[in-house]
Amino acid sequence: MRLLQVSLRSLLLYSIVLVAISIPVSLFAIREILNEEVDESLALHSDQFIRHIKTFEYLDDLELDLGIWDQLSYDVTIVPNAGGLGERIYKSISGYDSIEHESRPFRILESPVRIKGKDYLLTIRMSLVDNEELIVVLASIQVILLILLAGGLLLLNRTLSRRLWMPFYNTLNQLKAYELDKNESIQPETTNITEFLDLNKTVTHLTDRNRKVFLEQKEFIENASHELQTPLAIFQSKLDILMQYPKLDEPAAATIMELEETAQRMARLNKNLLLLSKIDNDQFTELERIDLSEVAERLLNNLKPLTELGEITLEISIEPAIFQANRTLIEVLFTNLFHNAIRHTTSNGVVSVELKGRRLSISNTGAALKMSPEKIFERFSKEGKSEKSTGLGLAIVKKICDSAGYKVDYSYHGNRHQFTIDF
Amino acid sequence: MFVGHATEILKIDSSFGRHGPRAQTYHLVADEIICRILVEIMKILIIEDEQELVKSMVQFLRQESYVCEIAYTASEAREKILLYDYDCILLDISLPDGSGLVILELLRANNKTDGVIIITAKNSLDDRINGLNLGADDYLAKPFYLPELSARVSAVIRRKRFDGQSRIVFHEIGIDLLGKLVSVNNQPIELTRKEYDLFLFLVSNKNRVVSKNAIAEHLSGDDAELLDKFDFIYSHVKNLKKKLAEAGSEDYIKTVYGLGYKFTA
Repeated sequence: MRLLQVSLRSLLLYSIVLVAISIPVSLFAIREILNEEVDESLALHSDQFIRHIKTFEYLDDLELDLGIWDQLSYDVTIVPNAGGLGERIYKSISGYDSIEHESRPFRILESPVRIKGKDYLLTIRMSLVDNEELIVVLASIQVILLILLAGGLLLLNRTLSRRLWMPFYNTLNQLKAYELDKNESIQPETTNITEFLDLNKTVTHLTDRNRKVFLEQKEFIENASHELQTPLAIFQSKLDILMQYPKLDEPAAATIMELEETAQRMARLNKNLLLLSKIDNDQFTELERIDLSEVAERLLNNLKPLTELGEITLEISIEPAIFQANRTLIEVLFTNLFHNAIRHTTSNGVVSVELKGRRLSISNTGAALKMSPEKIFERFSKEGKSEKSTGLGLAIVKKICDSAGYKVDYSYHGNRHQFTIDF
Repeated sequence: MFVGHATEILKIDSSFGRHGPRAQTYHLVADEIICRILVEIMKILIIEDEQELVKSMVQFLRQESYVCEIAYTASEAREKILLYDYDCILLDISLPDGSGLVILELLRANNKTDGVIIITAKNSLDDRINGLNLGADDYLAKPFYLPELSARVSAVIRRKRFDGQSRIVFHEIGIDLLGKLVSVNNQPIELTRKEYDLFLFLVSNKNRVVSKNAIAEHLSGDDAELLDKFDFIYSHVKNLKKKLAEAGSEDYIKTVYGLGYKFTA
C-alpha cells in the first residue's frame, strides 16, 4: 500500500467519523437550544399574558370574557382548572393544522393561574415547524459538507499529492536503476520541499561516496596487480639464473621446479585478476565487426595438437556469425571456455563446440560437479584441487558476458557439462 | 662456464672477419673450443629501474657474449643513446623519471636504428600499440622467462643486423631463419611448425637450461597452462630428437632431469 493511500485512508476515516458524529450531536444540540428558546419565549409570553389579565381584574365579568377569549384566540387557551396552583409544564405535542391539513409539531406551556380567586390553566402553544426546517437545512448542509470533504480529499490526493511526491518517486526510481559499476550518478529532481531536499542530498552523498570507494577499490586492484608484476618478474628471473648452476642435485632441481610452478601460478592469478579489473574498468570498449567462427576456429586449431595428444575427440560445428564485439574479450571468452572444457575432460572424452546463429554451445564429457552448479561462475571456486587452475577462468567468462550483455548458462545432463552463450 | 664480461673470454680471430665495419668477428674460446658459429660482440642497453631484475638480465644475457650496459633512469638512457649505438635496447616503459616511450621518440628523432624491445608491467593493448607505432621491434610483458627474453633479443639482433637473412650453424646443423628450415649435414629435415619453434628456442638459449614452463609459454602463450596435462613438451622434444637423430645429427638436446632441457654440445 502506498504511503499516500495510508494517509488518505486515515484522513478520510477521521473526517467521516467526525462528521457522522457531529450530525446527530449538532442536531440534538440545535434542537435543545431551539426548544429552550421556545420555552423561554413561552414562559415570557405566559407571564406577560397573566400580568396583562391581572390588570383587568376590576372587570366584573372577566370570567365570561376569558371564556370568549379562549374561544377566539388560536394559540392561547385559558380554561378553568380544578387542579389548583401547581408547577408549569412544558410539553411537545403534535397538533392538527387545519390550513395545511397535516399534523404539526407544537410546543406548549401549561401554567396554572389564579384570577380573581378562581383557578385557570393557561396553555400557550408555539409551532415548531420553522425550527424543524432549520434543523433539516443544517443537517443537509452537513451532509453536503461531508461529501465535499471526502471527494475533495480524494481529488487532492490524486492530483496535488502525486505532484507533491514526484521528486520522491523520481529519486526512488533512480535508486532502483542505480548500479554501482555503471558510470552514472543520481540526478535528483529539484524541489522546494525540505524533506525531499534532505533525502536527495543524503542519497546523492551516499551514492557518490560509495562510487568513490568503489572506484578507489577498482583502481587499487588494478594498481596492485600491476605492481606485483615486477616482483614476480624478479622472482622468475632469479629462478632462471638458479637453474643454470651446473651442480644442482635432484632435490634442489625439484625444488626449483616447484618454485617455478608456484611463480607461474602467481603470475597467472595476477594476470587474471588484472583482466577482471580491466573489464570492470571498462577498458575493452572498442567494438569491431568480428566473425566469431573465424576466432573459434583459430583458437581450436591451436588446441588440436593438445586434444590429439590427450585422445580427446573434438566435435566442431561452426557457422559464420558476424557481429560487433570487442576482439580481446571474445578471444579471452572463447579461450577460457575451451580451456575449461579440455581441462575437465578425461582421456577418450569428447569436447564439442557448436556455433549457430547467435548461440555458442560448448560441452564436454565428465562426471557431475561436486560443488553446487550456482557456484561454478564464482571467483576462486574450484572443482578438485587442480593446482594449474586459477579458479578465475569461468569468473572471467561470466564477467565478460555481463559486461557485454551476453547470456551465459551452465547445465549438466547426460554425462555432459554444457555452457551456452547467447550473444 | 662463461663468467664475467664477455670480452674477457673471447679472443679475436681475424680470419673470420667478413662483416660490416661495426661487426668484428670473434672466435669463441671457452673451457674448450666447441663452437664454429660466428660470434660477435653485441651491445645491449638495458633501461630498467629494478636493480634486481637488471642483475638477473645481465647475468643471463652475458652468458651469450652480449655486452650489457645499464641505465636506471630515462635521463641516463638518453645520454647513452646519444653517445653509442646498440644492437638491442631493452626498454622498461615505466621509469622513475618518465615514460620510456620518450626514449623511443628520441631514437626516432635521431634516426637511430637500434632494435628495441619494450618491457613493461602494464600489459595493455594501448601501450603495445603505442610502442610498436613508435618503432619498437617487440614487446614483452612482465613477468617473463629469461630464456624468452634471450630468444627475443637474438631475434631482434638477427633481424637488424642481417636483415633476417642469417643462418645459424652449429656443427652439422644449419638453421635457415628466413625459410624456417633446419638441415643436418645440408640435408633438410621436415619439422612441424611447433618443433621448429621449439628447436630455435633451445638453440637461442644455447648452453642454458630452459625449463618446461618457459618452453610451454614460448610455444603456446595462453594455451600454456593446458600443456602440462598432456606432456606436450615431452612428446615434442622426443619427436624433435628423433628426427634429428634420424638425419644423422648428434644428440645436442640434453634433458636436465627435473628442470627442462639444454641445447649444448
